[in-house]
Amino acid sequence: MDRIEATSDRALPWPAARPARRSWTRTRRRVFVGFVTPAVVVLVLVTVLPLLYLVVTSFTPLDLTNPSSRRWAGLTNYRQLAADGRFWNSVWVQAQLSFWTVSLQMVVGFAIALLLNGRLRFLELVRAAFIIPMVLPPVVVALIWKILFTPDISILDWSLGLLGLPQPAWLADPKLALWAVIVADVWEWFPFVMLMLLAALQMLPSEPLEAARLDGASRWQAFRYVILPLLKPALVVATLFRLIDSVKAFPHIFIMTGGGPGTATEVTNFYAYLQGFSYTYVGYSSAIIVVMLLATFAMSLGVLRVAGREHDVE
Amino acid sequence: MLVVLFPVLFIVQMSVRSGLEAFRMPPTLVFSPTLQNYIDLLEGKFVRSLTNSTVTATSTTVLALLLGVPTAYAFSRARVRAQGLLSLWTLTTRMAPPIAFGIPFFLIYKDLGLIDTRVGLVVIYLTFNLSLVIWMMRAFFDGVPRSLEEAAYIDGAGVTSAFLRIALPLSAPGLATTAIFTFLFAWNDFFYSLLLTRSEAVTAPVAIVNFMNYESWEWGKVAAAATMIMLPVVALSVVVRKYLIRGLTAGAVKG
Repeated sequence: MDRIEATSDRALPWPAARPARRSWTRTRRRVFVGFVTPAVVVLVLVTVLPLLYLVVTSFTPLDLTNPSSRRWAGLTNYRQLAADGRFWNSVWVQAQLSFWTVSLQMVVGFAIALLLNGRLRFLELVRAAFIIPMVLPPVVVALIWKILFTPDISILDWSLGLLGLPQPAWLADPKLALWAVIVADVWEWFPFVMLMLLAALQMLPSEPLEAARLDGASRWQAFRYVILPLLKPALVVATLFRLIDSVKAFPHIFIMTGGGPGTATEVTNFYAYLQGFSYTYVGYSSAIIVVMLLATFAMSLGVLRVAGREHDVE
Repeated sequence: MLVVLFPVLFIVQMSVRSGLEAFRMPPTLVFSPTLQNYIDLLEGKFVRSLTNSTVTATSTTVLALLLGVPTAYAFSRARVRAQGLLSLWTLTTRMAPPIAFGIPFFLIYKDLGLIDTRVGLVVIYLTFNLSLVIWMMRAFFDGVPRSLEEAAYIDGAGVTSAFLRIALPLSAPGLATTAIFTFLFAWNDFFYSLLLTRSEAVTAPVAIVNFMNYESWEWGKVAAAATMIMLPVVALSVVVRKYLIRGLTAGAVKG
């Protein structure tokens, strides 16, 4: 805990007559160390150590039904992973899910943010209503959409029939099941993008926009060359967080499709869960997760690099 | 707006319809609402899981605040080189899918006999709630002027009492907001409860899924249970809606 230094530069000018200042600063520092230590110890215990344990487990062939399988196996799991078709399928499913949910959320969220960008009391209310999907327990979201996508009991199904459109069994059709999950996820999370961009829109300085208007810029030009660049940091952060969360998709898949039909909606996260807790191969499951973590990390760095503005995310 | 709210309203109306009526097509707009689904639920095992949810979410909130608030205060008032590290670590833990913590905790809990206990859940909820508290409270403490505490120092107050008597009361709204967030994140958790509980410590979200699977798809009851677990969430999040983004992007956006 030698990293803590009490602020001297930020403090008010101290009465010069006070001789005890040095020892007082030291006391203050000691109290702060006392404040910080318990939390840091707990944080290391509950996050750092388990992640290390995960990495260690990924080098063992640990099987929950076989206690003697806690032994070192080197890179066996990783080698097996590279040749595991079902794993690569899950990566592909994940890539589709992430691509569609993130891009649809960004488009819908951005469009609605532009529509709702005003200071009317009514808009305030609408915005408050829009936060509901993203704060709901994920289980509830998944249940709602499971019901809506189940033939015979769903009003969605009935309305399609009324319009003379086909009434597919969404969740049982390998081609449509992933789309059902995408719809649920977009519904749940586009408000997040919307809220972030609304906050950014309302903090935009008005001068550049006025200057552009005076120079005769059309609405589209003003949007394209003034608003969009100013919103870039918010767009990058929103994309990054949606991307990170899309990789964590679990309750929707677990409840709506169970990864099926077949492996049509089996994302990597869910595949790891099945390997670890349905088939009890925890060692192998850990290896999948370690690879996933590294990939997510690399992907996040990639997004920031492409966006070229690393200082936006501290 | 209708598109956004429709699915929610749909499940709420479903929860007050009797068994068969919920699925009559075309749907009737006029129907006699019934609370039967709720009564059935409250007489069954669901109450226990609601208690579990409430107890674990509350305990983890209290614990995370006790540990995190003093840290946040120290981070706000002193220059600490570890802060960048904390920010990076908060983001890293945010990136990890729950199963990344689920596997090691499962193995450790099996050895310690903590599977299917509320204590086990409370501890694993700290994996996301502790850094959240530190992150959010630091921003709130930054908003409290230092001059008052410094005046107190000159009057002879110690560091701890300046923190407890001045900074803490002044950031009470922030404290309430942070508490609501930690409560909600724990309350909404599905994965850890699914993995680490069996019957005794099951929380409400997992209980719903269980009886969806075992009680022959009683949609009315499922809808009623879903309504019950989402009501507190909706009510609380309206209170903290101004800070939602800060809470959801802990580690990156100072809000």
